Amino acid sequence: MAATDRPHAPTAKARRRRLFPYFRHAVLIAWSLIVLFPIFWMVSTSFKGSGEWVAWPPHWLPHQPTLYNYQQILAVGPLATAPSREATEQVYNIWKAVGDSVAIATLSSLMALLMGTFLAYSISRFNVGGKNFRYLVLTIRMVPPIVIAIPILMYYAVLMPYTTDLLLGVRVSLFDTYVGLGLLYVATTLPFVIWMMLSFIDEVPYTLEHAARIMGAGRIYTLRRVVLPLVASGMMVTFLFIFILNWSEFLLSLTLTQPQVSTLPVLLNKFQSAVEGRLYGPQAAIGTVITLPVVVLGILIQKHLITGFSFGMLRK
Amino acid sequence: MKLVLAEMEATPKRPAGLAAWLAQERIFRLVPFVMVEGMFLLLLALPFALTIYISLLRWRANRPFEQAYFQGFVNYARVIAEPEFWWSLGRTFYFAAAAVTLELVLGFFLAMLVHQAFRGRRLYITIFLIPMMVVPVVVGYNFSMIYVDSGPLNQILAPILTPFGVTARIRWLSHPLAAQWAIILADVWQWTSLTFLIFLSGFAALPPELINAARVMGASRWQIFRRIQLPLLKPAIVIAVVIRTMEALKLFDQAVLLTFGGPGDSTQTIAFFLWRQVWQFNKYGFGAAASVLLLLLLSSLIYGGIYLLVRERALLQQPEGRG
Repeated sequence: MAATDRPHAPTAKARRRRLFPYFRHAVLIAWSLIVLFPIFWMVSTSFKGSGEWVAWPPHWLPHQPTLYNYQQILAVGPLATAPSREATEQVYNIWKAVGDSVAIATLSSLMALLMGTFLAYSISRFNVGGKNFRYLVLTIRMVPPIVIAIPILMYYAVLMPYTTDLLLGVRVSLFDTYVGLGLLYVATTLPFVIWMMLSFIDEVPYTLEHAARIMGAGRIYTLRRVVLPLVASGMMVTFLFIFILNWSEFLLSLTLTQPQVSTLPVLLNKFQSAVEGRLYGPQAAIGTVITLPVVVLGILIQKHLITGFSFGMLRK
Repeated sequence: MKLVLAEMEATPKRPAGLAAWLAQERIFRLVPFVMVEGMFLLLLALPFALTIYISLLRWRANRPFEQAYFQGFVNYARVIAEPEFWWSLGRTFYFAAAAVTLELVLGFFLAMLVHQAFRGRRLYITIFLIPMMVVPVVVGYNFSMIYVDSGPLNQILAPILTPFGVTARIRWLSHPLAAQWAIILADVWQWTSLTFLIFLSGFAALPPELINAARVMGASRWQIFRRIQLPLLKPAIVIAVVIRTMEALKLFDQAVLLTFGGPGDSTQTIAFFLWRQVWQFNKYGFGAAASVLLLLLLSSLIYGGIYLLVRERALLQQPEGRG
């Protein structure tokens, strides 16, 4: 018996080794399906007419594909001229929100990038703010945003109008303004910028700058001509990363704007609590419109996502 | 004369005015620091000081600020006596613990399967990373659609559940327990991508010589995993735990989008609770006190997390040839 047992053991092992690739592909394909399904469902729903949104059994693909939902949200086509009382036939113009989102996300990301890059340079080269400053910055990112939102609300909506009224005689409030929300986005994304840019700038050898300085280049000239070209790609990646963050931000935008300024996530949320009942089709269309650009951007900077999310602690 | 020449040589031509002033080292190094610090002070520290002050007032938003009067720590006492504050805090920790555990296990397992070279690896990685790029609000919307009682998820589950004698459709968003897990699963769907990514970069950083040497010396797969890979992956694991826990404690978007805190209070997280008190009930003093209290309660966790990150980062940055 023992003699037959012995050759059996290696073959079982060999079989396991041979089957392992199939097992791996099975698991990975299963997870891929799980990952892709919600996105597939959204895109599929965005092409469905109102009768197919909720059907039992569900329609995996629209039986009668239509662009109606996109016409509704983008306000194009025959719909734009013929308003209707039916919720499912109204026009939900999202262009204002698209404009707001693009403007706020772009400008605040740019500003955070500029400030953060210079500060990262100072920290890396001169150790500005002391050894622990870079860790202190992280606190802002760790605090739940609601704890930031409540003070900001009172600051913007109460203290600011109150003090400006006393001092200047006009009530100035940053509540529900582009500046108010944008500034807050700058402050909340700065930790990411500082950490990501630190990881890029720390890699630029100081000797390069030193050489340029000795040869008589000014400080700002050195920064522009020596350091900047070397970290430019890093700055691009950082910009895209925080752009995605700002584009997706919901809590601050929900709490500190309305009705003047509205970003896309807030707009989508308004549909969710709509009184006329849920409008799955237009919502799916909005979701697709919001998601596609950031997924494309995200895939572009895929290699650097790890740097961003781990605050530059892990590198690809 | 000589002295003047020497001086001229020592100071090469520089741009005059503001640029020159900025280029001085002691100024130059401080400019960005002062800018950013000033912004933090004005935008975060000042409002927070104001919040502490307001938390001591008796004041609701429907009354002018001038009419609010000082009442000491009454708001704090009220928050502490409010059971829903503690319930939603506990619920937030429960969601975070469940979601982060699942994410860590799944992410680790997937990264383990993907880290070696094989055909199609890059495609899988790209697909697995998509969820974290999707806007969280859209994730909430997507899942609210999938969880519909007569929706696709119940359709998929039906053939799996019927052999067990369960024929009822799961009421994902209207049953308290199911709603809680609906939120947890949506979080797992989105953020397993991040733990996967962190572990993947951890696996990529493992020194192959070490593992080859162990294999040559006859170590089994399990031994290699347990004695070599796992200890070397510890920094990645700690970073994943800290970052994901901190993020999971912020849970808000899905609670609003999927269930709006309901049914009842069963999915009300602490962020949602605070939001409701301030933005729906206009209880400013109460909200201010609750947020100060929450920050105090979380501060030890926050600093513990940062301490762990710093420690692991120091381990990661040790010189390469330590092994």
